[in-house]
Amino acid sequence: MREPMREPAVAPTAIDDDRARRFEASLSRAGLGLVPRLGERVSDALLARLLRVLAERHPRAFEALREMQDACVLIEPVDAPVALMMRVGPELSLHARPRGAVGTGAAAADAVIRGPYARLLDLLEGRIDGDALFFRRELTISGDTALILALRNTLDGEDEMDLMADAASIAGPLARALPVLRRNAGPVLDRVEAARRLLPPPLRRGIERIGARIEARLTGTVPGTNPGAGA
Amino acid sequence: MDNFELICPAGTPAALRAAVDAGADAVYLGFRDETNARNFPGLNFTRQDVADAVDYAHARKVEVYVAINTYPQAGNLGPWQKAVDDAARLKVDAVILADPGLLAYAAKRHPDLRLHLSVQASAANVEAIRLYRDAFGVRRVVLPRVLTVPEIAKLNAEVDVETEVFVFGGLCPMAEGRCSLSSYATGLSPNKQGVCSPATHVRYEQRGGALASTLGGFTINVFGEGEQAGYPTLCKGRFVAGGAPAYLFEEPTSLNAMDLLPELKAAGVHALKIEGRQRGKAYIGAVVRAYREALDSFAAGRPVPHIDLQAMVEGGTQTTGAYTRAWR
Ligand code: SF4
Repeated sequence: MREPMREPAVAPTAIDDDRARRFEASLSRAGLGLVPRLGERVSDALLARLLRVLAERHPRAFEALREMQDACVLIEPVDAPVALMMRVGPELSLHARPRGAVGTGAAAADAVIRGPYARLLDLLEGRIDGDALFFRRELTISGDTALILALRNTLDGEDEMDLMADAASIAGPLARALPVLRRNAGPVLDRVEAARRLLPPPLRRGIERIGARIEARLTGTVPGTNPGAGA
Repeated sequence: MDNFELICPAGTPAALRAAVDAGADAVYLGFRDETNARNFPGLNFTRQDVADAVDYAHARKVEVYVAINTYPQAGNLGPWQKAVDDAARLKVDAVILADPGLLAYAAKRHPDLRLHLSVQASAANVEAIRLYRDAFGVRRVVLPRVLTVPEIAKLNAEVDVETEVFVFGGLCPMAEGRCSLSSYATGLSPNKQGVCSPATHVRYEQRGGALASTLGGFTINVFGEGEQAGYPTLCKGRFVAGGAPAYLFEEPTSLNAMDLLPELKAAGVHALKIEGRQRGKAYIGAVVRAYREALDSFAAGRPVPHIDLQAMVEGGTQTTGAYTRAWR
């Protein structure tokens, strides 16, 4: 067998709780929403660092991505304000831009993958079968189909990636917080849910509205709208 | 009762580990070139990957088969013969071949290498199977997906070669190895280049709420809003004939013969095969686990559990295919 993969800096604590996974997905979506607000230079540097971390942990896949022909794939979560442009080939790179920003839209890409953020994350981490998502119409693809297939197969050839842990490992304090967060996510969510259920309905709705507003602030979206719908 | 052998697909090293860990008895895979019938971008194994795969599988008492099941190009036998030589050198447990010339080469060069006849050879009658056994020492035949269970039973009663049948996955409804639909539309075929309806020639476009798939410029299907989609495979295209769109050859439906385990056992089938080297490791893990559970229950005389694999399949519908085809 090839060299065992190097241990990630953040131990990927198993998450068997579905809700914890959803919580984690919305947290990372909010985090992604913040990236372009840091300005292009900082966000590009952050993502370059993330790519280096990923390349170190998944050398087989990243070598294969560099061996591909130079091309750009736009990865567009329809429920997040940000899209990712991945350039494969010798000049492998990753950029996050507000969705619809000039020069980073579908026209600039050779292929586009669109879907809900949580699904795209599952797909990138190899937790879910891309063909099944496609059959169910949860994922749409356009442009160079062979390019998308090559990218999917290359990433899927890795044992499960843990993008949250990898992303957290480039942001010092988060690296330490994540395992704790994961261990406690289930019980904490249970308690929050139990408390929420005990509240009288008007208060409960009030809390839900506040929650939506906080998430909107973080991601830069208008609460209750889906920026991807019809796009 | 002897259990069936469960033969599982792998398109990547991670998928191989998923199949082994989920309970495969053997995993089949291909090299990264046109010598196998799933020559898709980003898929398949380098020589080093195969060496690693053999180590991983053998350590867990699981076998590895290498499919070298396309037909060599005239005047360019090199890559196919080298694939056979490398498979033997890497100590795989069997090679799955279709071309008689390549079978002859393998039998002569590597007398200890176990030979399986690929579904691509389309050997569907006793005489053909006997010929492959007598001429090349073929030990197992993967039967084409056009036979009914009684036909398989009759065949098994008359030849002493192990048979392997597909039980799950996409269907190639024509006599395998003989379909030219993909060549017609794209110039590339599963028989020579290892790709049916190749991704390089496929485009998807949104047409309002509908999703259209095209292959080599031909519209293959238009899926209405909310309708399950399928692969842009020509035989599963929906074409307009006589003014109405219809599936002229075959519907985008997946094979699932889990309910037929008793019949297949009674018919003398030795091994069951899952299709899908092009699928992700999540699919492979889930399907192999489901079949492992079903086979173990069946072997222990317990009722076969109903395991829902609906979410995994093309078109969202399942069939027992030709095995129970009433019109035959
Ligand atoms: S077009 Fe259909 S029948 Fe022909 S090779 Fe492809 S999958 Fe098989």
